[in-house]
Amino acid sequence: MSTGTVTPYRSGQRPGRDDFPHLLRSEWTKFRTMRVWVIAMVAAALLTALAVVALAGAATGGQNSGANPAVAIGPGGEAVTDDFYFVHQPLAGNGSITVRVTSLDTELPLPGGSTGRIAVPWAKAGVIIKAGTKPGSAYAAVMATPRHGVRMQYNFTHDTAGLSGAVSAASPRWLRLTRSGDTITGYDSTDGTHWTKIGSVTLAGLPSTVQAGFFVTSPPLLAPTSGVSCRGAACSAATPVQSFASNSSVSSYTTQAVAAFDHVGLHGQRMKGDGEVGGAWRGGQIGFPTGIRFYCTPSPGHFCAPAAHHGSHESGGTFTVTGSGDIAPYQSNVDPLGTVLKGSLIGLIAVITLGALFITAEYRRGMIRTTFAASPRRGRVLAAKAIVIGSVTFVAGLIGAVIAFPIAVRKLHSSGWASSVYPVWSLTSGHGLQIVVGTAGLLAVAAILALSAGAVLRRSAGAITAVVVLLIVPLILGTILPQGPADWLLRLTPAAAFGLQQGTPQYSQVTHACEPYNGCYPLAPWDGFAVLCAWAALALAIAVYVLRRRDA
Amino acid sequence: MTALREALHCEWTKLRTVPSTGWLLATLVALTVGVSALATEVVKCPASCGEDTTKLSLTGVLLGQAPVAVLAVLVMTGEYSSGMIRTTLTAVPRRAIALTAKAIVVTGVVLAAGTVSVLGSVLAGRFILPVNGFTVAHHFASLSLGDGQTLRAAAGSVLYLALIALLSLGLATALRDSGATIAVVLALLYIVPILTELGTLDPVWQHRLQQYGPMTAGLAIQATRDLGTLPIGPWAGLGVLAVWAAAALLAGGVLLRVRDA
Repeated sequence: MSTGTVTPYRSGQRPGRDDFPHLLRSEWTKFRTMRVWVIAMVAAALLTALAVVALAGAATGGQNSGANPAVAIGPGGEAVTDDFYFVHQPLAGNGSITVRVTSLDTELPLPGGSTGRIAVPWAKAGVIIKAGTKPGSAYAAVMATPRHGVRMQYNFTHDTAGLSGAVSAASPRWLRLTRSGDTITGYDSTDGTHWTKIGSVTLAGLPSTVQAGFFVTSPPLLAPTSGVSCRGAACSAATPVQSFASNSSVSSYTTQAVAAFDHVGLHGQRMKGDGEVGGAWRGGQIGFPTGIRFYCTPSPGHFCAPAAHHGSHESGGTFTVTGSGDIAPYQSNVDPLGTVLKGSLIGLIAVITLGALFITAEYRRGMIRTTFAASPRRGRVLAAKAIVIGSVTFVAGLIGAVIAFPIAVRKLHSSGWASSVYPVWSLTSGHGLQIVVGTAGLLAVAAILALSAGAVLRRSAGAITAVVVLLIVPLILGTILPQGPADWLLRLTPAAAFGLQQGTPQYSQVTHACEPYNGCYPLAPWDGFAVLCAWAALALAIAVYVLRRRDA
Repeated sequence: MTALREALHCEWTKLRTVPSTGWLLATLVALTVGVSALATEVVKCPASCGEDTTKLSLTGVLLGQAPVAVLAVLVMTGEYSSGMIRTTLTAVPRRAIALTAKAIVVTGVVLAAGTVSVLGSVLAGRFILPVNGFTVAHHFASLSLGDGQTLRAAAGSVLYLALIALLSLGLATALRDSGATIAVVLALLYIVPILTELGTLDPVWQHRLQQYGPMTAGLAIQATRDLGTLPIGPWAGLGVLAVWAAAALLAGGVLLRVRDA
């Protein structure tokens, strides 16, 4: 037995590095060298593209009454609704128009000529300066509304709030527009002496003589198909103009608004020496008398919705005007591009599976112990895995979406989804970019959510199912539940992120039937994506916590 | 016959002693009853009196089928991932019998837990519906299994869950990997109903998908109102799902027979 110091064995290898770039590299190597996973990821991208294109091919515009509506084209080239009753006269050069609105009532026309009173939040009555009487021409207007106070709107897409509160004889609204060159300024007042400026807008290329006057319009109302309830009177006889889908609980009803205007004053600089304009007021319908135009043939047991009234009469300086329609961007009830992008659900299930397997496979093979031995800081291991699976999925999703997008758009246009009604979809425009990048982002974050679920549950079947139930089943429940709870479901669950695939912009000043199966979601696109990201972040945090506490 | 009885005993022991079985069955009951009760709670009568209250109070089956699918998939793929399948097939060399035993045991367990879930859902509906305005005044009788239509919907929902289990088991036998199988099952179940609702889809395709999708057809068994307007009748719909399940089991059985374990 020899005594003395024993030199412990030291490996001749250089010490291993567990810095983050190396961790990322090792996770990337794990993914890259599993041939099945790489094939599955490529398949997910191709399946997404294929399914989207197939859905676009199966989308028939011809049988869908909303596919090719008669719309006007606004100054910005977008589809607009421009239907209202207009009492007007020409105004040459600079000038102003002022009115006092003393009442604004909204009604539902019933069969037999009677009407029932009903609330229409976005009915409009006010003053307008418009380039001409052609639907879609440039305009600026200040208007009273029943539920949204006084608004100044111009060129269909722009909306600014003025005085709040509803109009009544006790609380009238004075409205004024002045023109100075291409600039139009809107004012409102409660007494006709103290005026508040709402906003000033520039309408490029306004002709020297414009049409100035006052108008009334009332958009179609969305109400339960089973019937509308009116204030005071029974409206059970009301017939919807349009229902949106066979299972939809919401239908569209034509409405009309009646408003009283007095203290009407039109002042023009070029008329009779800066004096009051003496011309006669002419009334006329701009566009169509109702908001939605559908052909209806009465048959036994089926009644057509009664048409709305329109017209104007004057007595003692007070004009009573009835109108129906809307002055707003056209909002399609079906978002064709958003719906065909549901084809990406197939790819989504594939990437959820891969995301979960990226960690559950390590548990199954015992590889996880090697991984944690090589890199004992478990939070960093999970972060590296999340970055790798997220990036790979993002790239795959992007490729799939970029391939599918132009083909799907071409197929939609050729099958009757009018290109004039929907925005110009291209990969470089705002919406196209949002849809393509958004779809890739949705897939990537879903994969990270699945990875986290896999880390917590350690079983692929359970983790995949949990994520699919959270992400996809709300879309089904959303069609079963009534609108209110369905909206909440699609705000709170990760399914909110499907809003990223919306192909048409949403405007707060237009009410329309927002149904997920028509491609519409209650949250704005990136807000919805933020909800999904919050879920993924929470799941990742829980996974890190559990991984640290648990034996591998 | 003895072989089958012994195989059944083996399978029952395996299923009983795996912790995931209990968790999944508990999830089945909790999800089905919980979601059914929530869905019934948010629908009020003066607003939506046209509702099929029986179908509404069974909404939770939509989610309850997910743990059923996981359970049935794991019964088969769990053995492949652990290598247990070789022991199983050594003990029961006739593979048809091994698969039959698994199918019977899983079906039995799902029928039992499914009955509890569906009864719980109906009971919840019976209490919640009248509170939400679905009363005699609005021509709604109290939800009761004494009513033939409701009984058919409730019993059919239990059968639906069992058929989902058989479909999943068949696919699992064919695919052998839990991740891949559950992805295919969930895609079959949940994507088809979303596609049928899309506003752009050709109505002909919409109708076909509703008639042949395993979930859309199978859940027709829950309908008790406007049966004439359904894309497929209640029993015919459940029959379509049964064909799906039989086809999956047959494919799985053939592959199990011709392939090495």
